[in-house]
This record gives sequence, C-alpha cells and structure tokens, in this order.
Amino acid sequence: MSPPSMMGPRDRGAVQMPRLLGRAALAAVILAYTVYTIGPFLWLATMSVRTTEEISRDHYAWPKTFHWEQFHQAWVGSNFATYFWNSALVVVAAVMVVTLVGAAAAHALARYRFRGNRLVYAVLFSSIVFPPQITLISLYQILVGYNLYNSLFGLTLVYISLQLPLTVYLLEGFFSRIPQDLFDAAKIDGYGDIEIFFRIVLPIGMPAISTALILNFIQLWNEFLFAVVLITDPEKRTLPIGIRSFMGENFQDIGMIAAGVMISVVPVILAYIFFSEKLIRGMTAGAVK
Amino acid sequence: MKEASLPIVQESSGPAGKNPVGPEMDPRRASWPVLAFFLVPALAIYFGLTAYPAFKTFIDSFFLIEGRETSFVGFAHYRELMHDGTFWVAVRNTMIWSFIAPILDVATGLLLALALYAGVPFARFFRVAWFTPVLLSYVVVGILWMWIYNYDWGVLNVALRAVGLEHLASSWLGDPNLALGSVMITHAWKWAGFNMVVCLAAIHSLPSEVLEASELDNCGWGAKLFHIIIPMLRPTLLNLYILAFIGKMKVFDLVWIMTAGGPLWATETVSTYVYKRAFNWNTFDLGYPSAIAAVWFGVVCAAVLILNRAFGTKERLEY
Repeated sequence: MSPPSMMGPRDRGAVQMPRLLGRAALAAVILAYTVYTIGPFLWLATMSVRTTEEISRDHYAWPKTFHWEQFHQAWVGSNFATYFWNSALVVVAAVMVVTLVGAAAAHALARYRFRGNRLVYAVLFSSIVFPPQITLISLYQILVGYNLYNSLFGLTLVYISLQLPLTVYLLEGFFSRIPQDLFDAAKIDGYGDIEIFFRIVLPIGMPAISTALILNFIQLWNEFLFAVVLITDPEKRTLPIGIRSFMGENFQDIGMIAAGVMISVVPVILAYIFFSEKLIRGMTAGAVK
Repeated sequence: MKEASLPIVQESSGPAGKNPVGPEMDPRRASWPVLAFFLVPALAIYFGLTAYPAFKTFIDSFFLIEGRETSFVGFAHYRELMHDGTFWVAVRNTMIWSFIAPILDVATGLLLALALYAGVPFARFFRVAWFTPVLLSYVVVGILWMWIYNYDWGVLNVALRAVGLEHLASSWLGDPNLALGSVMITHAWKWAGFNMVVCLAAIHSLPSEVLEASELDNCGWGAKLFHIIIPMLRPTLLNLYILAFIGKMKVFDLVWIMTAGGPLWATETVSTYVYKRAFNWNTFDLGYPSAIAAVWFGVVCAAVLILNRAFGTKERLEY
C-alpha cells in the first residue's frame, strides 16, 4: 500500500524550505497524536506494575521494580479471576450462538426468494437504531419474572439479542455476493438446503463469519449497561462491572485498579496484535460504503 | 444506508406449485420448513428479547408500576415529563453532545486520515495505533480519563502547571461548566480512530485520475481539500456523522462511570436519567422511566429518519 504523494515532483529548490517545514509540521502532528492515543494506555501499564504507595509518590515515574505480584493479588485476592471467567463464559457462549443463528438468518435472506424477505431484513436491521433503554426496563422485569435475573444465562440471552441485528447485517451483505452457480451445482449434486448451509455457506463465508465473531466478541466483552442492570450478585459480575465496583470500594488504590484494568484489556490487546486488520475491518464494516 | 444487495424479491412468479419446472429445480426457492429452520431462531430471539420488551415498555409507560402493584395512569407520566426540569436538562445535554460532537469526530478523523494519506513512513503502524482506543471499553476509558483529569496529579493539570498556566488548572469533572465538555472530549478520544479508518478507506477508493488531475493543475492543499476531497467524500462523511449522532443519542456508559450525571446535572444524559429513575432512585416506579424511554425512542428514530432524508438527497455525487 503506497499512497501517491500529495506533492508533485515539480518545482524543487525554490520551495524546498517551506516544503521541509510542512513535512516537519506533519511529523509533529502525527507524533503528538500518537502520544495522545497511546500515552494514556502506556501510563496505565506502568501503574499496573507499581504499588499504590510508589504511585502516590510520583505518578509518572518509570517502575523501578516490576511488581508483577499485583496481578496475582488482583486475580486471586480481589476476585478478578471470577469476573474474568464470568465474562469469558457469557461472551463466548453468546458470540457462538448469535453468530450461528445470525448466519442462518442471513443465509436465508441472502439466498432465497420469498414473500416478505426484505421486510424481515428491515425488521431485524432496524433495531440497530433503538436506544437500549427501550428494552432495558422491560427486559429487567421479564428476566425477574422468569427467574433469570442475576443469572449469567439470562445475561447471555440478552447479549445474543443485542448483537443479532449487526450480525445479520454483516453476514447478509457477504453471503449475497457468493455466486449462485455454486448453489446450483450443489443442488445438482444432490445436496439438501440445510446441508448446503453447513457444508458450503459456512466454510466459504469464513472470512465474514470470523469478522462477525471478533466484532461481537469485542462489543460484548466491553458491554456495561445491561450487565450493571441485570447482575447484582458479586459472584456473577462480569469484568466491566467488576472493575467499576472495585473502583467504587477502593477509590484510592490506584495500583490495584490499574492491574485489574490491565487484566480486562489483555485479551482485547492480544486479539488486536494478531488480528489488527480483521478487527479494524470488523469494527468499521457498517460504515465503509 | 445500504442498497438491497438482492434482486427485487420476485412476487409475481406465483406459488411454487404452478411453476412448470417444479420448486426443487429453482434453487432460489425453498420450502417453508427450510426457511423456518433458518429464520425461526433469529426471529424468535428478535421478537422475544427485542420487539416484545420494546412493546412492553410502551404499554408500561401508561402505568404506575411499583413492585408487583400496577395501576393505570393514562398519560400522567407524559404530562409529568413535560414539567420535569431534570429531564429537559438531560435532553439539552444530549442534544448538544449529539449535534456538535460528531462534527468534531468526523473532522478529526478526516484530518488524521489525510495526514496518513500524505505518505508518511510507517503509516500502517500509526493507523493501528490510532485505532486502539476504539477497542477499549468505556469502563477502561472512563477510569483512565478520570485520572488524566485528576485535580492534584492528573496529566492535564500537571502539564498546565509545568508551563506556568496554573490559573487554568481546574477540576475538570467537578466544575459544572467544564464537566460536559470534558466528558465529550474523552468520548471523542475513543472514537477518532474509527472515523480516521473509515475516511482513509474512502480516500483510497477515490478515483486516482481526479487527484492526479488536480496535481497537474497545481492545486494547493487547501483547495484540494475543500474543492475535491471533501465533496467527493461527502457520502462517507455524512454517513459517519449519522453513525456518531446515533451513538451519542444513546451515550450512557462513559457518563455513568466518570460523573454519574453530576455535578449538578451538568452531564446528565437522557440515558443516565432513565437509569437513575428506574434503578437508582428510591421512587420504585418503572412506569415513569418507561415513558422517558418511549419518548426518547421516538426522538431518536425521528432524528435518524430526518438526517437520512436531509443528507440523502444528493448522496450520489457525479465524478
């Protein structure tokens, strides 16, 4: 990827100086913005391996000794292990189910002609715009009614419904570009409709499906509003609400908060290191025309 | 927002039985059991966990719901809402945020994308680095920025004192005049990278002849930006504006973590107010917050439709 330079090859020499200044200004802006985005995160990382006492002496010093035991303490002593595994359980289950259910619906909408096809698509898609409060209060009452309040299973169900519209939208767009010839050939070979979905659409759609998986994972891993309403039992907290309640109780313990925040960020950063392009594409998939 | 990617659904070809080729020979048709197999799980989830709760919220807004006791109150909640000062403050804050902040977001995104497009080395690295905040949760972003804004040792005040601007050092989240702006900047910090990536992709997909032609015409940077790049990116920029607008109409997490709507309702948004009235106040009535949610649902949907209509007229630009 080498974008053409915005500066033509003409008129060297005379305008060399201002051009050089322009380059320097551009470099300064780029570096400043990089510090602005990455800096806070690096600051957090240094604080996570310093004790609160060290931090309060100087908030910006480089860690002299790396107190890795802070992570152990957060993980075991401050319940972050529980929060982490609750989050992992809910998010992985919800992402698997929503991607499979969404893929099935997307396939039907992309492939088959039937009365009301576009209506079903519009109905599923339109809820992307809904403000979450429109379902929040009722879902709370409904889950209480079914004894699913304060349960990780109930939260998983809600998470599935939250991510369904986006999943259908993303996958429908991709599936509809799979050439019809492939399906015609499969039919002639005697594949049934359901076999076609599992043995052709899912393997061929893998690039789009993995994009949807990653996107759903990140969004649910970070989800806060429904978790804070639907979970009150400390043993069932997910990471975002676990961190927040820890911060509420130990407002001054900055080192430990930083360690807990790092624990919640590490899976996301790991995924980002390995799949940065895929993640960026997934997160922006709805916006790029 | 997106064109239908399927050919128009064929309504005219009649029921499958009359088709001389037979249904099993038209691979674009499927029997109802097959369609049900694919669609019923998704529709069941949609109707059970989205459509039904949304409908129930509308119904609930006409009732006083205290625990297990409910009583019909008609439009009383809506009348009360008209005179609820806190609600109107929340509306004002959310509106300011939703209309102004997206301009900032999209402009920053566009400028960052242009900076990378100008051919700096390591552009790929910067693109990945600048996108990082998009992936962080609001809890993480909120905690980080509460520390950045800390009065005694936060980066911002430390920097201001270091350059001798002590009188500007403030309690960024504690001063009612500054709190909303501070939270808005944090929100913009998180989302700038998103707008940058989308703008960059759009710039790269512009027809290169046009940019080359402008270079031959000795077009300056500013002229190129305002006469060529921005007009040609118009659909993308408007799309980004609408997306940012929708996001800001719903904003909850960041506010709740950083200020919980305070100080003195300076950062109260409609979302935080609904949450407070439903789950955090000792009012024990779920009907009133349902009415707020119903009103806000209408406002958001109407705003999105109006913006789409207003921006959509000249969506296709002739190259």
